[in-house]
Amino acid sequence: MAKVLEGPGMGLMKKWGINVPNYVVVTSVDELTKLGQANEWLKKSKLVAKAHEALGSRFKLGLVKVDLDFKAAEAATKEMIGRQVGSITVTQVIVSEMIPHKEEYYCAVKSTREGSEILVANCGGIEVESNWERVKRLCLEIGQSPSPESLEKLSKDAGFSGGLAKKMAEFAGKMFACFDSEDAQYLEVNPVVLRAGDDELVALDAVTLLDGDAKFRHPDWNFAFAAEFGRAYSKQEIEVMAVDSKIKGSVKFIEIPGGDTAMLPAGGGASVYYSDAVVARGGKLANYAEYSGDPPDWAVEVLTEKVCSLPGIKNIIVGGAIANFTDVKKTFGGIINGFRKAKSEGKLKNVKIWVRRGGPREKEGLDAMRALKDEGFDINVFDRNTPLTDIVDKALQAK
Amino acid sequence: MSILANKDTRVVIQGGQAGVNAARRMAEFCYLIKRPLNVEAFVYPPDAGKTNEIPYGSGLIAIPVYKSIAEATKHHPTLNTSLVYIGADRAMKGGMEALDDSHIKVVSMITEGVPEKDAKILGAHARKLGKVFNGPSSIGIISAGACRLGVIGGAFDNLVLSKLYREGSFGVITKSGGLSNEIIWICSQFADGITTAIGIGGDAYPGTDYVSYLEMFENDPQTKAVVIVGEMGGDLEERAAEWYGAKKRRVKLIAVVSGFCQESLPKGMKFGHAGAKEGMKGEGSARSKSDALKKSGALVPPTFGALGPAIKETYQDLLKSGQVKEPVEPATLPKLPKTVEEAMKADEVMVAPLIRTTISDDRGDEPCYDGYPASELINKGYEIPHVIGLLWDKRLISKQEAEIIKRIMMLSADHGPCVSGAYATILAACAGIGLSQSVAAGMIMIGPRFGGAVTDAGRFFKYAVDNKMSVDEFLAYMKKNHGPVPGIGHRVKSLRNPDKRVKELVGYVKSLKVKTPCLDFALEVEKITSVKKDNLILNVDGTMAAVLVDIGFPVDSLNGFFILSRTIGLIGHWVDQKRQDSRLIRLFDYLVNYAAPKRREVPPLK
Repeated sequence: MAKVLEGPGMGLMKKWGINVPNYVVVTSVDELTKLGQANEWLKKSKLVAKAHEALGSRFKLGLVKVDLDFKAAEAATKEMIGRQVGSITVTQVIVSEMIPHKEEYYCAVKSTREGSEILVANCGGIEVESNWERVKRLCLEIGQSPSPESLEKLSKDAGFSGGLAKKMAEFAGKMFACFDSEDAQYLEVNPVVLRAGDDELVALDAVTLLDGDAKFRHPDWNFAFAAEFGRAYSKQEIEVMAVDSKIKGSVKFIEIPGGDTAMLPAGGGASVYYSDAVVARGGKLANYAEYSGDPPDWAVEVLTEKVCSLPGIKNIIVGGAIANFTDVKKTFGGIINGFRKAKSEGKLKNVKIWVRRGGPREKEGLDAMRALKDEGFDINVFDRNTPLTDIVDKALQAK
Repeated sequence: MSILANKDTRVVIQGGQAGVNAARRMAEFCYLIKRPLNVEAFVYPPDAGKTNEIPYGSGLIAIPVYKSIAEATKHHPTLNTSLVYIGADRAMKGGMEALDDSHIKVVSMITEGVPEKDAKILGAHARKLGKVFNGPSSIGIISAGACRLGVIGGAFDNLVLSKLYREGSFGVITKSGGLSNEIIWICSQFADGITTAIGIGGDAYPGTDYVSYLEMFENDPQTKAVVIVGEMGGDLEERAAEWYGAKKRRVKLIAVVSGFCQESLPKGMKFGHAGAKEGMKGEGSARSKSDALKKSGALVPPTFGALGPAIKETYQDLLKSGQVKEPVEPATLPKLPKTVEEAMKADEVMVAPLIRTTISDDRGDEPCYDGYPASELINKGYEIPHVIGLLWDKRLISKQEAEIIKRIMMLSADHGPCVSGAYATILAACAGIGLSQSVAAGMIMIGPRFGGAVTDAGRFFKYAVDNKMSVDEFLAYMKKNHGPVPGIGHRVKSLRNPDKRVKELVGYVKSLKVKTPCLDFALEVEKITSVKKDNLILNVDGTMAAVLVDIGFPVDSLNGFFILSRTIGLIGHWVDQKRQDSRLIRLFDYLVNYAAPKRREVPPLK
């Protein structure tokens, strides 16, 4: 799943005929000033300015300012750009018009096993969270499009009536068109508002999750995907992603600040069991990592260097199940190179390494790992006869 | 018995190299269980009409490649299963093609990164047709002792260790490919092994879910228990729990779920497979899945580590109740033939080498000449003449010797376009012939009359010096046994019109104040012969030969110095003609003395 920031998300909705507020995304005050000369609405409307970054709780951080005139919007932009929040620097601000409205509603489309589900409620904002039973659903099979009648029924079931029921049905229909055509996995508009003046439904705030795997058939997806966990990706994470995009197989790396148990396991499935074992033993994860699909040794080496560079780590868990086709000797070769490099840079002092693995050329790979003992590594190597996550138990008991 | 994949499964593989690799693994399994290869065809349009060679035992089996599924099933009407190894952007089309063929009943997609929508369409289409669509991102399906689809099961040794050559009593369903092998291994160590193991793929919406396969296992009398390995995200585990709890089931269910670590991770941080994403309202969490499974009556060990003992406990119960009997292991199992390299490594065979070399080795990260790494030679200031010394005479020559060789090469690099070698190369170049062939044409000219006298000259001068012959004795010996002295005589040069190259070389070598017995002897010979006839002077071949013998090069290498040096010139001539875009040339009639009989009548054929 790939999260999309508000700007490009609203762009996609607009493409499918959904009303969105006027907005601009700027990287400097000068840009906003120039846009102000070209776009009358910026001067006429009340405005909202928000940091356009993958940040959680922007409101609390003062990175959302509402009810601004153009001058105030310029001032807010100036203040936000360049602000440092944790590892993220604010580089973009989205300035949009405030939509005067009375009523707030809710509309979403989500992916289900059978196809998708359209959700509609005649309440919106935070109200919908506490009144989840008011959300009505229309389930659709894959390949099936909602009929105007079924959408109107959904709208009426959710408590809309008259002309508004029709409008909401149309809005939901457009949401589905956007969802289906853009390979979305989740689209949520909360709130949908009834604009004062023309009584049109407008999408005020949106969550857009697209299927990153479908990028190949969307040449107009000219935006970067945002991190999904309320912070931007770190430099190290981006470097691993860059490697991942270049290779056969995969390498993954996410930092978890404050942990002391570093993870370097193989396999998307086993890696989570290893993480579970650390947590179950009361350990603190320093990262998530995973390599799989027989990646080249140099890619595993890069991943290893990142893992070894995590601050304050005491153990590294080089775990893995019995591989089907990932060459244990080759991938361990990458890990060993990474360890050697880290050691030569003065890292891995007082760090214990725990290895468990099976698969093609497991004996050669494990022997090579064992040989690191002679080079002064504090390393403990186990084969398939030691159950998968036992090395975590051993590591965390060894304190 | 088994489900999905059995002894009647006949496979077509859609895709290129990844598919061929899978076929090799499948052939290893077929060999282990002593059955013919279950792969009958490939579909891969770029290679249509060719065959893929799949090793089976110590032989190779040629499997035809077709351009479409329809063509494959036309030629192989027993095909009933397709494995899809096509790239994510074309996977859906390939999967649809297979599903739409009436012969194909099971399609398993290995491709990763297939858009969710495509996977759903494929899954729905298969259900409509009453077929099975497994995957995407599936590691494969394996039925012990019967059939392997894909690389599931791993390397040959692992197939044996995990006792996949005969049936057990446990079914396995996993999302994770890596863990499928782990569970198969655990089932073989803590119980009697598996019936069928299925990788359903780690995507959010796999084509076929746990419930469909649980239903099949329930109907397979050999399968007594099923192990499922779940992940957070989606509701497949909840649905499995619902199925299991709905009524009394014949099979026992053992399940683990991963993702408990989410509870103590920073909010929103998720990882693992694509499908491993918790829902908006906390549904799909590891805990809710685990709780649902427990409630349904499944055996849910608290951690992955406790899975082995849980399987063991289940197996012991099955043994006690008489539902299963201890398996009988076969007395012998086929061993996968080793490659020659593997067998040599294990000291099991001895191979008589075909060739022997004593000069170079490039098996490491760079070539070594007579043991010296090329880069180290460069970095320590050695030059081309030293490489010649190493490769032709297996020794590191001195700086002075290198200088002599360099000068010899510079002096003999070219001798204008008219000499046989250059002329042949030019002629070839003008006929539009390529570089290596044109240079070879010039090279062919090197022989007794052109450039090829160096070795013989060196041999005879050395013979005279070694045997302490006088010049007279030598000339008499040559006249009696061999004829003219190689290295003596020139077509155009003479005493009065000396060869400057010879003077230059002799002058330099003499200036070095080293012992040059051969050169001295050759010069003595010249004194006598040039008196007899003006042009019987020491020529450049003879000079080079004498000098090179004096600095210790073996006689057999001597022509090499001329060949090597002149190659520089021949390449130059070819490039020169090419640059000028020279036209085809032929001799003019006036350059030929037509001495053939005059035109005459052909007599009748007798």
